[in-house]
Amino acid sequence: MGGDYTVVGSRARRLDGPEKVTGKAVYLDDMQFKGMLHGAILQSPHAHARIKSIDTSAAEALPGVKAVLTAGNVPDTKYGVSPARYDENILAIDRVRYVGDEVAAVAAVDLETAHQALELIKVEYEPLPFVLDIDQATAEGAPQLHQEYLGNLTAEVHQEFGEVARGFAESDLIRTDTFVNKRQDGGFIEPPRSVAVHDLSGNLTLYSSTQVPHYVQRTIAMLTGLSVGKVRVVKPYVGGGFGPKASASPCDILSSLLSMKTGRPVKIAMSREQVFLHCRARHQFKHVMKTGYTKDGIIKALEHTCYLEGGAYSSFGIATVYYAGSLLAAPYRLPHMKYDGYRVYTNKPACGAQRGHGGVAARACFEQQMDLVAEELGMDPIELRLKNIMETGDVSCNDLSMSSLGMKECLEAVQGGSDWNAKKGKLPPGKGIGMAAGFFVSGAGYPIYRSETFHCTVTIKVQEDGGTVLVKTAAAEIGQGSDTTMAMIAAEAIGIPLEAVRLVSGDTDYGIDLGAYSSRTTLMTGHATREAGEQVKEMILTALAGELGVERERLDIKDGVVEIKGEAVDFGPLRTKYLKEHRGWGGMPSGDKLTFTEAARMAYLKLGTIVGTGKYKPPVLGGKFKGAAVGTSPAYGCSAQVAEVTVDLETGQVTVDNITDAHDCGQAINLTSVEAQMEGSVSMGLGEAMFEEVKFDDQGRVLNPSLGEYHIPTVLDMPRMRCIVVESGEPNGPFGAKEVGEGAIMPTIPAILNAVHDATGVTITELPITPERVLMALKQKKRDE
Amino acid sequence: MLLPRFSYHQPASVAEALEVLGQHGDQAAIIAGGTDLLVNMKHGKLAPRHLVGLEGIDGLEEIGADNGSLVVGPRLTASALAASGELSGAAQALALGAASLGSPQVRNRATVGGNVCTARPAADMCVPLLVLGAKALLAGPDGPRELPLDEFFLGPGQTAKKPGELLTGLSLPRPAEGSGAGYEKLGLRKALEIALVNVAAAIWLEPDGKTIKQAKVALGAVAPVPMLSPGAEAALTGQTAGEEAFAQAAEAAATDAKPISDHRGSAQYRREVVQVLTRRALGQAWQAALGQ
Ligand SMILES: Cc1cc2nc3c(=O)[nH]c(=O)nc-3n(C[C@H](O)[C@H](O)[C@H](O)COP(=O)(O)OP(=O)(O)OC[C@H]3O[C@@H](n4cnc5c(N)ncnc54)[C@H](O)[C@@H]3O)c2cc1C
Repeated sequence: MGGDYTVVGSRARRLDGPEKVTGKAVYLDDMQFKGMLHGAILQSPHAHARIKSIDTSAAEALPGVKAVLTAGNVPDTKYGVSPARYDENILAIDRVRYVGDEVAAVAAVDLETAHQALELIKVEYEPLPFVLDIDQATAEGAPQLHQEYLGNLTAEVHQEFGEVARGFAESDLIRTDTFVNKRQDGGFIEPPRSVAVHDLSGNLTLYSSTQVPHYVQRTIAMLTGLSVGKVRVVKPYVGGGFGPKASASPCDILSSLLSMKTGRPVKIAMSREQVFLHCRARHQFKHVMKTGYTKDGIIKALEHTCYLEGGAYSSFGIATVYYAGSLLAAPYRLPHMKYDGYRVYTNKPACGAQRGHGGVAARACFEQQMDLVAEELGMDPIELRLKNIMETGDVSCNDLSMSSLGMKECLEAVQGGSDWNAKKGKLPPGKGIGMAAGFFVSGAGYPIYRSETFHCTVTIKVQEDGGTVLVKTAAAEIGQGSDTTMAMIAAEAIGIPLEAVRLVSGDTDYGIDLGAYSSRTTLMTGHATREAGEQVKEMILTALAGELGVERERLDIKDGVVEIKGEAVDFGPLRTKYLKEHRGWGGMPSGDKLTFTEAARMAYLKLGTIVGTGKYKPPVLGGKFKGAAVGTSPAYGCSAQVAEVTVDLETGQVTVDNITDAHDCGQAINLTSVEAQMEGSVSMGLGEAMFEEVKFDDQGRVLNPSLGEYHIPTVLDMPRMRCIVVESGEPNGPFGAKEVGEGAIMPTIPAILNAVHDATGVTITELPITPERVLMALKQKKRDE
Repeated sequence: MLLPRFSYHQPASVAEALEVLGQHGDQAAIIAGGTDLLVNMKHGKLAPRHLVGLEGIDGLEEIGADNGSLVVGPRLTASALAASGELSGAAQALALGAASLGSPQVRNRATVGGNVCTARPAADMCVPLLVLGAKALLAGPDGPRELPLDEFFLGPGQTAKKPGELLTGLSLPRPAEGSGAGYEKLGLRKALEIALVNVAAAIWLEPDGKTIKQAKVALGAVAPVPMLSPGAEAALTGQTAGEEAFAQAAEAAATDAKPISDHRGSAQYRREVVQVLTRRALGQAWQAALGQ
């Protein structure tokens, strides 16, 4: 469907590519500051305990130690992600709630001294009874984590759309199925870290490995008492985030406070083990879904209950528990839906948002059940889905509006692309094929705090020499490619080649940008960038029209040259002026067309520096009910995947051989980046399906806090992949673009589960799909037969 | 965590190495590739004040011959062993195990000496060495001595190597005609994986190409040490090679295994997998012995 674009839709080389592959890119650990101190954090060894006393005198006396912080000398302001549930303290006040809870922090001349100082801090704990799972946490008389949120419930959701009872009355086939995933780790390459620099003018600059400079800026301002304008957050290159870096980290907060206290730059870096202790990654979900279908395979009603094991603090949990329900209302027509969700506190590290926020396990449960329904109805799974899918223009029972939806195209693409019809039901034992579909938001309708703020602002300044433009955005390039995408959008909007665009990003001084989460950047920052680019173009062409004495409408810029419609116009005087300014220079414009460079220079001479600004916030979106803000988005991406697997019937080991993946991203800005997101999503989904599980002992300690023992896929575990990009043209997106970053993970787990079922006849309802789990299921099936 | 401080020694001969080790006693540790030692030091499990590197000593990084045996140098890396042309016949077991260890980066550092001295129950080079009847060649203050590997391993991370002793080689019988090896490893992912169960098998055929002269099966991750299965050996010796004999040996191996349940897998599952992998490893070894 793609329009007639020059830059958009191409396979542009990434702006950050050369620096990254040559090792020259600057990440936080590469940054050095004069007089920089090193910070370290003391964490609780207990899952739940009262702090009877803390003695820091020996640590303070250690030569080289410059500051020691405990709850006693930091503000007691509560913070968190959602202002409705600020339940965290900067450092534990009287009580620790999980193994890893932050108790004290030190800054010293080097890391060795800082670690020694931690060992000298004497904390007297009185261990308290604790709860490690949902059953323990919700049992009567269970120890409580927070006095403000009794019953160990962070949040509960009760929603009904339509009339579920009527839906079930109209159903011929009603199935109830359950599904459990496991607590996941983000598995990003770079653990969180920060350097805070509090300068002599009282300004604080925080360099942070974060996805969200804006939210970090606000949290730091709130906790330090500095005004927001005096807090600047800068994000250097970041080694991935996937959700757990979407809020202020203890490194951010404690390095800021330590820098303010010592007057010196302070760096704090998490170790890999601390990443596991901090978590903020995928929750464990337990889903129960009762779904009604007619005998023709039409979905009538869904009654859904979900429990989330959330850890000791809320983090994103309120949004997560809403998403776990709301993201089932599409991409199939579902007239009646009831949802009861519970997000439960436990004495474990807090879970938060991770790629496919809240929706991944729910999607797996629903899509697995759909295949079981297809089997009972004797229907092909793709056929069953095609009967139910929504189309462009459809609105879900909970007011999610599909302004574009290439679901049918995705299903047909993977059907053809995988040779589905020749394989489904025709493979030998141990070989299986399965499929699933899914969808996801392109950014949330509202910021995390209640506000009418723009979600992003972008400035484009035309360099006064006229040859290049400078895009300034606070958007967070965290490896996903947003810098290149924004530069491409700017180039397309102005009509210049990508090489004429420079871009700076990831700095709160460049404007507002809510950051890299909920798959928002391409659509939202893309809109603002496009608007700024169009403004620039308009200013230059208006000035040029005046100079040449032609109507503005006759002028356009394409690929760096000015197009003039109608009869020829003499721009000789203009060129002469330009050449005179550059006497003796090489590479001057020649030929029969006026260049963008000349036009832009002329406009500057007339108007001064040319600056265009763009901004975006979503229009008011559907839904008046409680929780409507979670799930509504200006646009939805969707996808379908077919997985082919081999199951070793003697050991239970599953190998994913092939994945055929189709994703509707509206319009690819950078085709290579779209495919990269699809591949990355499959790798992450495959890890969650097959290997990943953060494990705890009976004292609440993480058993596998390293990437040696917590298994993410290696390149050898990746299947062959075929990526098919579907472009439905999103009316609410810049140049028709919408998300690909998270939606692409939705079908992976259920597609693999359905393929395993096809290969073996067993249904695995608990992740990960370990060889042992599969073999035990195979044996059970034999016994049952 | 940070690496604790230490001083580094680089002796030029075995004698010099023994001297340094003797001087510093339990304050000294030998370092080869460092892929176990440095990890343990970073985790604060070990804090030796003196590290003794062996790279200055000639001859520890090659496969030598010594009347009727091969002597594998302890500093040979997994990468080198995986690609070695000298490990033919049954000795191929060691190459197969080495090839399945870690990832390319780890294989480039990890040495066979380190693997043996670390003595993990699932160690990818120890299990193959057992089926080859390897002996540990040790040098110490009281002179050199030899110890069969199955007496060398005492428990997880524990060996019969005395403090102050140095592993100078692993001796194996020279590869014989009509012998072959198999290696099977089950884990979650395809690389960077400590085995949930691993099995090595070696078969020596009589000149008739059918009768099993000798066969050995070793099991990993199912006991406190990498272990030989005497039951499998007994079930195979003198039998005609083939599915039937292998199935019986596999059953015997599963009986010999002493797995425990932990967070990575249950004892019951491990025992079942021992049986499957033993059968497969034997099939592989047989094919290799036949030259196929
Ligand atoms: C990421 C990663 C993945 C891994 N994967 C695997 C795997 O898949 N399979 C597997 O089996 N192992 C694995 N390991 C463990 C390790 O790589 C192996 O055990 C390796 O063989 C150790 O060898 P090294 O040379 O690094 O030993 P080092 O760490 O240098 O030494 C290990 C121990 O042996 C002692 N030592 C070394 N050489 C001698 C000698 N000549 N005489 C006396 N004592 C000596 C040292 O003092 C030390 O106690 C992995 C390790 C890492 C970090």
